[in-house]
Amino acid sequence: MRLVDSKKLLELQNNPSNIRNICIVAHVDHGKTTLADSLISSNGIISQRMSGKLRYMDSRPDEQQRGITMKSSSISLYHAMNQEEYLVNLIDSPGHIDFSSEVSTAVRLCDGAIVVVDVVEGVCPQTRLVLKQAYSENIRPVLVLNKIDRLIVEMQLTPLDAYVHLTQVLEQVNAVVGELFTTEVFENEEASMEKKEKEALNKEDNNFYDWTSALEEADDSHLYFSPDQGNVVFASAVDGWGFTTLTFAKLFSDKLGVKEEILKKVLWGDFYLNTKTKRFMKGAQEKAKKPLFVQVILDNLWNVYETVVMRHEKDKVPVICEKLGIKLTARDLRHTDSRVQLQSLMVQWLPLSHTILNMVCEKLPSPKEILPEKVERLMCSRIRDFDSFNIETQKLKEDFLACDSNENRPIIIFISKMFSFDKSALPENRPKALTSEEMALRREKARQLREELKQNNANINRQSEEKSPHEEQEKSAEDENEKEKVTFIAFARIFSGKVKKGDRVYVLGPKHDPSKILNCNIKIDTNKKLKDLQSDEHITCAEIKSLYILMGRELEDIDEAVAGNIIGIGGLEEHVLKTATLSSTVACPAFSEMQYSVVPILRVAIEPTNPSQLPQLVKGLKLLNQSDSCVQVLLQETGEHVLVTAGEVHLERCLEDLRTNYANIPITVSEPIVPFRETIVEPPKMDMANEEIASQNVDKSNTKLEDPIITIYTNNKQSKIKIRAKPIPIEITKLLDRSADLLKAISQHIKTLQTLSMNDKLDNKMEGLYLNGTKHKLSERMLKLIETFKEDLQSICSKLGPDWKDLVNQIWSVGPRNCGPNMLLNHTADYCTKYLHHEKEIREDPRFEYEGSFVNGFQLATLAGPLCDEPMMGVAFCIEEWTLEKSFSDDISQTFGPLSGQIVSAVKEGCRKAFQVQPQRLMAAMYSCDIAVDQKVLGKLYAALGRRGGRVVGSDLQSGSASFRVQALLPVAESFKFALELRTHTSGLAAPQMLFSHWEVIDIDPFWRPCTEEEYLHWGEKYDGVNRAKAYMDSVRARKGLATDKQLVQHAEKQRTLSKNK
Amino acid sequence: MSKIFTPTNQIRLTNVAIVRLKKGGKRFEIACYKNKVLSWRNKLEKDIDEVLQTHTVFTNVSKGQVAKKEDLIKIFAKEDQTEICKEILEKGELQVSDKERHSQIDSLFKDIATTVADKCVNPETKRPYPVSIIEKAIKDVHFSVNVNKSAKQQALDVIQILKNEIPIERAQMRVRILLTGKDARKTKDKVVKLATTVEDENWESGTANIVCLIDPGNFRSLDEMIRTETKGTGQFELLNLKEMVEGDQAL
Repeated sequence: MRLVDSKKLLELQNNPSNIRNICIVAHVDHGKTTLADSLISSNGIISQRMSGKLRYMDSRPDEQQRGITMKSSSISLYHAMNQEEYLVNLIDSPGHIDFSSEVSTAVRLCDGAIVVVDVVEGVCPQTRLVLKQAYSENIRPVLVLNKIDRLIVEMQLTPLDAYVHLTQVLEQVNAVVGELFTTEVFENEEASMEKKEKEALNKEDNNFYDWTSALEEADDSHLYFSPDQGNVVFASAVDGWGFTTLTFAKLFSDKLGVKEEILKKVLWGDFYLNTKTKRFMKGAQEKAKKPLFVQVILDNLWNVYETVVMRHEKDKVPVICEKLGIKLTARDLRHTDSRVQLQSLMVQWLPLSHTILNMVCEKLPSPKEILPEKVERLMCSRIRDFDSFNIETQKLKEDFLACDSNENRPIIIFISKMFSFDKSALPENRPKALTSEEMALRREKARQLREELKQNNANINRQSEEKSPHEEQEKSAEDENEKEKVTFIAFARIFSGKVKKGDRVYVLGPKHDPSKILNCNIKIDTNKKLKDLQSDEHITCAEIKSLYILMGRELEDIDEAVAGNIIGIGGLEEHVLKTATLSSTVACPAFSEMQYSVVPILRVAIEPTNPSQLPQLVKGLKLLNQSDSCVQVLLQETGEHVLVTAGEVHLERCLEDLRTNYANIPITVSEPIVPFRETIVEPPKMDMANEEIASQNVDKSNTKLEDPIITIYTNNKQSKIKIRAKPIPIEITKLLDRSADLLKAISQHIKTLQTLSMNDKLDNKMEGLYLNGTKHKLSERMLKLIETFKEDLQSICSKLGPDWKDLVNQIWSVGPRNCGPNMLLNHTADYCTKYLHHEKEIREDPRFEYEGSFVNGFQLATLAGPLCDEPMMGVAFCIEEWTLEKSFSDDISQTFGPLSGQIVSAVKEGCRKAFQVQPQRLMAAMYSCDIAVDQKVLGKLYAALGRRGGRVVGSDLQSGSASFRVQALLPVAESFKFALELRTHTSGLAAPQMLFSHWEVIDIDPFWRPCTEEEYLHWGEKYDGVNRAKAYMDSVRARKGLATDKQLVQHAEKQRTLSKNK
Repeated sequence: MSKIFTPTNQIRLTNVAIVRLKKGGKRFEIACYKNKVLSWRNKLEKDIDEVLQTHTVFTNVSKGQVAKKEDLIKIFAKEDQTEICKEILEKGELQVSDKERHSQIDSLFKDIATTVADKCVNPETKRPYPVSIIEKAIKDVHFSVNVNKSAKQQALDVIQILKNEIPIERAQMRVRILLTGKDARKTKDKVVKLATTVEDENWESGTANIVCLIDPGNFRSLDEMIRTETKGTGQFELLNLKEMVEGDQAL
């Protein structure tokens, strides 16, 4: 039975000073949702008895099944205290690391947070994280030490031990807070020091230096949790009880005959009761006395638990009840399960919800008391200064602080996420209970219908025929509805102003910058939607179609909402992607980006099980992207749809959503395809055993020395080509990579020139020149770019020695696709080509006609190398000789096809062969990982990296904290499920972030076999270990259906023989 | 009393694959292990004993009839049975064993799928399909691989069949055509018929400059046509081998 209906809640909404927006945050399984349950039960939404078992806020089936929360959801609760009525907007957040983005969205909307800590497990990685999040968002936390019952029942501690344990846990929490505080102070100090240094430089007067740390000046006393300040609750959410020292001070002040105020102060801490003098004394530990906390509180608790739960002394229950002044129902007294008895007893004695809501209302700020610092942090990101905003924007700060719902105040609403909601469950679509008059009306109608039917009995057939097309239409309409059975609700908080249904507001995207808009006065098209926007536009205009109070699993329809509330807004799915700001003025800045502690790193490729259902999948992925703030969906160049999630559990939830809600089709998940590159290197001087090769006898039979210059003829023997391959130094490769766009443009230009010059040869010189003059000249800017490129190249080459000196004039083409990191170099004596020196024109040479084909052959060769058909990288092909004896006898050209085609294939084949006689290597894509890791598990992190072929580049301690920042490199091919391994091995104390950084040569020959003396000594004639490069190569070859050197059957004799019964 | 023939030292060969060679009007057979002959021919297996059951040359393996020495010398001109076996292994016709056939079909299938994925795009997104989707689609249309046809030929066949299953198209080539002279207009009409879409067309003093997308299958015929129709005055230039979107894109 609900105690408070929505009308009451609406009334309360209008008084911001009595609103509390709070969220519950903690490590996974520390009891957030259970705590939320017991708070909800205080409002009668769920029964007292079911609280802790129902997990009301976990509305998804998979949440219930797995027993973890996966999304943050809000509920509005009513609480009365000291004749005042309060509205508490409670947000329950998930604790699993995969969903910490949901915590960010929840924390963003709140003014206060309840931090729950399991007293048995103590401070866990996620506890640190949520404390950090709360701290960085400037919201005030209160602490709940949960699961105290476990100390009694499971760990069976004595009250005194439990007290010590509790103080230790509390110290742990405070240590984390202190660490956060010092880290921030140090950061600020560094920043201010830099400023000071700049100033000092200007003044030229820095013989004075301040050595005192800012830490000494900063005040941190208000930060810490302490029971005597009343911001700590001791609780057992499962049994539904909780208390602060204040609760007991009230209960015992009469019994002990002490004033409540005094008792409150001495209940926590090293105080004891001197029975003789009847006075509270300090130093209980020293004198081996029981601290007051143990004597007054814990002893009593232990007593109750021991009698009821541990010893099952049923007859004593009524006695206890009488002592505590509690009346248990007869049913509870008769109950066989002692735990249930205990629960009903404790709930009445020390009601958890009451204690916590009291504390929340007292200790946590209302929306009106929003701190100026918090406002500034919301309005501008860390990089930007608040003062850099327009005056108009700066004025809005006052509106934030006022939190006024007056009509003339601007509307400012922040949407922190979009969540999907079943359309049929919306309040407006829910079937309403019929009133009696309506019932009567329906009855009447039904009767009429029946009579009509009787009359038209004969016409039924005809009617049904008429009906059928109509019905079909209805059906198709229904189908459409079914397709879009989910709708998106914005999870939002009003910071200022009052919003009504039907209001039109600006929707400001996350990249919106008010100063730009205000300065240049752009007209805003009101009819635009998100998908119509250009990349630099971030404003749309939307009508607010519906407003809701969030009630956990349900929504309550409302007509208007005022500042300080957390609400749901419907009908914005076409305007808001993930987060947005709604405002009545464009001067409002976009809220600073949320700081996600976890970035999505688990990449998987997704495809529909049935290939023809691809469009549904794409649509589903778009919806998923909108509903989840921590998901990335990419369409890769290979055509794969890649889903990037924060972790395994998150991935599973996303897939579940896709399968059942968004796409409604079966999908398959696989590892994404990892690209490789092929290259050649200088012949190595050391062998695999790290011995010099030159000083040893090398087994010549294995390594047949081949001429590095490959000579190849076209099929009709008309043309002879000599090719040599050599590796390009890394500096040049980098330059080529950087200037890919430029190179592409040049190639395009050359192609047109080529055709034009051929045109010229013919009789249309006039037109050709004309074309040349108008269109096909490079622009000034391009020429300049080419010039700088040439200079860069020249300067690099001059450093590299004589081999590369003349490179600029030798470049013939680059590839693959005319812009890659491979070069075709012209070393011929008698044939000139043009690439960068485009002004020269050579037309008379018969070879000129086939130059295009020649280059095409090179392009094809670099696009698919001989190792495993992956593109080449950093390879130069030098053409040493190219001769062409053209004979015009027709029969030859017919047998082998046109000469141009022959040249293409000859060059391609030649390049591949030239590549193969050099030492070949595979290149792997590398991720650069940035890992924040606790120093305790540094060793385990290194081990996990080592297993996957990664290596550490650098690591340093973060000042003021106990965590390291480690930079490492990891091959992309090994990165799948790396985060999972890291988390399991480091118990969640390491959080990696990965980003593609570069290509790296794998320094093993894929075809390597021992061939030097030392290698024979080490490995014998046949190497049995795993060759990493070969393993990669074989997997790619197997995927592409190319031949590998794997044998079908290793040992012929070991095959199963089918006996023929002989 | 008739003698009872008791084979005492008979070697019974199981697990046999026979390789036959007809030479000089005689048939020779050798007994090999199953699934090994192809890897010998591909030079993956180097140990002859892993391939041959016995180094004897037979006229009939199943009956156990060994070839006569004189015949061998006469026909192969050598005495060493192992050498003869190697020759038969190289040149003879063989029974393909189950695993060999299986892997052959498997790799050919993958080759076909890779070729299809390489040549085609999704016309809606102008992006290639991943190979795994193509493989699934090929299986869905019940295409069976023919070992005797080339992968490319079969890929082209299967693209036609796949069009019924998923939206798929050959990646188009982008070409530029320059036409001059009197017949420019006439030729242009013919050219445009072969192109799928004309992206850009302008005329300047009697010269047509056309940029269009064509089906790769039409490249040859278009090239031929322009050369003959314009008697060498027209230009035909390949701008882009495959028209598709490059780079990653966030949804």
